[in-house]
Amino acid sequence: MKDDYLWDGSGEPDPEIQKLEKTLSKFGHQGQAPEFPEIAVTRRPRNLQWGFGLRWPQALAAAAALILLIVALGILRWPQQPGTNSGPGWEVERVAGTPQVESSATGKAGANSRLGLGQTLVTDGHSQANITVAEIGTVNVEPNTRLRLVDGGAGRNRLALERGTIHAYIWAAPGQFTVDTPSAIAVDLGCRYTLQVDDSGAGLLRTTLGWVGFKLNNREAFIPAGAVCATRPRIGPGTPYFDDAPKSFCEALSRFDFAAGTPEERNAELDRILAEARKRDALTVWHLLTRVDDAQRGRVYDRLATLVPPPSGVTREGILRLDQKMLDAWWNQLDLGDVFLWRTWERSWSPNKS
Amino acid sequence: MTASPAAEPSGDSALVLAARQGDRAAFGGLYTRYARMVHGILLAKVPAEDVDDLVQDVFLKAMPRLGDLRDVSRFGPWLAAITRNRANDYHRQNRAVAAVTESLSDDEDKIPAASNVSDAEAAMILVYVRGLSETYRETLILRLVEGMTGPEIAARTGLTPGSVRVNLHRGMQQLREKLSQAASGARGQSGFAGEKNSAAAQEQSSLRKRNEP
Repeated sequence: MKDDYLWDGSGEPDPEIQKLEKTLSKFGHQGQAPEFPEIAVTRRPRNLQWGFGLRWPQALAAAAALILLIVALGILRWPQQPGTNSGPGWEVERVAGTPQVESSATGKAGANSRLGLGQTLVTDGHSQANITVAEIGTVNVEPNTRLRLVDGGAGRNRLALERGTIHAYIWAAPGQFTVDTPSAIAVDLGCRYTLQVDDSGAGLLRTTLGWVGFKLNNREAFIPAGAVCATRPRIGPGTPYFDDAPKSFCEALSRFDFAAGTPEERNAELDRILAEARKRDALTVWHLLTRVDDAQRGRVYDRLATLVPPPSGVTREGILRLDQKMLDAWWNQLDLGDVFLWRTWERSWSPNKS
Repeated sequence: MTASPAAEPSGDSALVLAARQGDRAAFGGLYTRYARMVHGILLAKVPAEDVDDLVQDVFLKAMPRLGDLRDVSRFGPWLAAITRNRANDYHRQNRAVAAVTESLSDDEDKIPAASNVSDAEAAMILVYVRGLSETYRETLILRLVEGMTGPEIAARTGLTPGSVRVNLHRGMQQLREKLSQAASGARGQSGFAGEKNSAAAQEQSSLRKRNEP
């Protein structure tokens, strides 16, 4: 990349960027620091004063007694809290019923608890909870849900939804929040969405803001606002579709994705999908390019080309051989989100690299 | 892409620790260092006329919560997250303000007379920048509007330098395409132009208010 000037102002000045800087600087921050009020001093536990004025033998004895007490408490609590973690945790707020964090209840009405690394939040048929995801978002947990905190490090916030329903609203930069399900990984690309998993491990993701990436091995799906995507164990994400698509279109798609039909039956379903696709169903047709077999791909190309013409540089031959750059360029032409974000972020979330 | 996160800006931890102890000058120092970042993140999502107030609001919100910050070296990313949250709250509170990229009115009569061509151009370009995806527009606004360099953006926001570089490159590429399309008038006769002009009118108006003595 020859973007030195854009990067840090070094190198040969780019006149176009200089003009943009000059023009847009009018909107830049101009304010001075206001008069801030008194800051409430917060004392951290680590600032506790040791010794309390005791002579050192007494202090030593007190410290020894304290250690013994901690060890004793640890032994007593050990059998009750398998999997208790010492790492970071997320705040859990009870909304209804009695949500449980592993074996301990989150408390009485209004009380908060924490979901630690490796711990599972469990709601029964009458319980609901809200989780504050560090400083980057919230997750509402519906009844009959099991949700485990897998990772809570800086920039890496990962949950595993074993069963049930969650509503995630994330305002962090893309790629900082993912949810594992038994049949796919959902990667937040700046969005609000609902994710459901049933007892068989099958799932459904519905995006209401922004877009979400859904992936299992090499099978991936991009789900923009207003779209839905089902997923099945051992198969992975199906083909996403807009939730206002005709019922017959959705049913044909479901059979195409997940039913064990004959090649003839699959061909018939594909014909139905392509025939019924509206312009905005280019979302679905684009995904089909990588889901059909070689003999079917030409038909899908032709249909997509009538809905959204391929951009320059994208050829029929390239798409038929699944050239990744051409597929990505065509996706970007749909104007549903820049696939480059996904290519950047999804790598770091692939299961074998996390 | 560079994998390691950007280093903590020198001295932030000391300022945070001092501010926690009630040192207002230290908190003022953090404001001086981070006001542009907060302003830029807000400007990517919120109408310009409300951004200055929200900048102060974000710092006032962060002040009593400094004790909650577990890793003081992550002050920048922490503050950036609070800022994004505040911008989202702004829209959630439904303060009769449409999303900045949406049409505010189809009435093109509201487009201000081009008495100040420079302001009109700036407002229009800002609307196009906001039309980019969130990641690109935030980084690009920090660079082009707030005058931060790529390394500075990485250090302040906690993004990796590689990610910032890519965001700048791709965002600039998309902005060039949009400006080029606008210049060629490819979409000039559609409703798109009306929407952009309407949004630009609002931003130009906020610029005028800003420039008033």
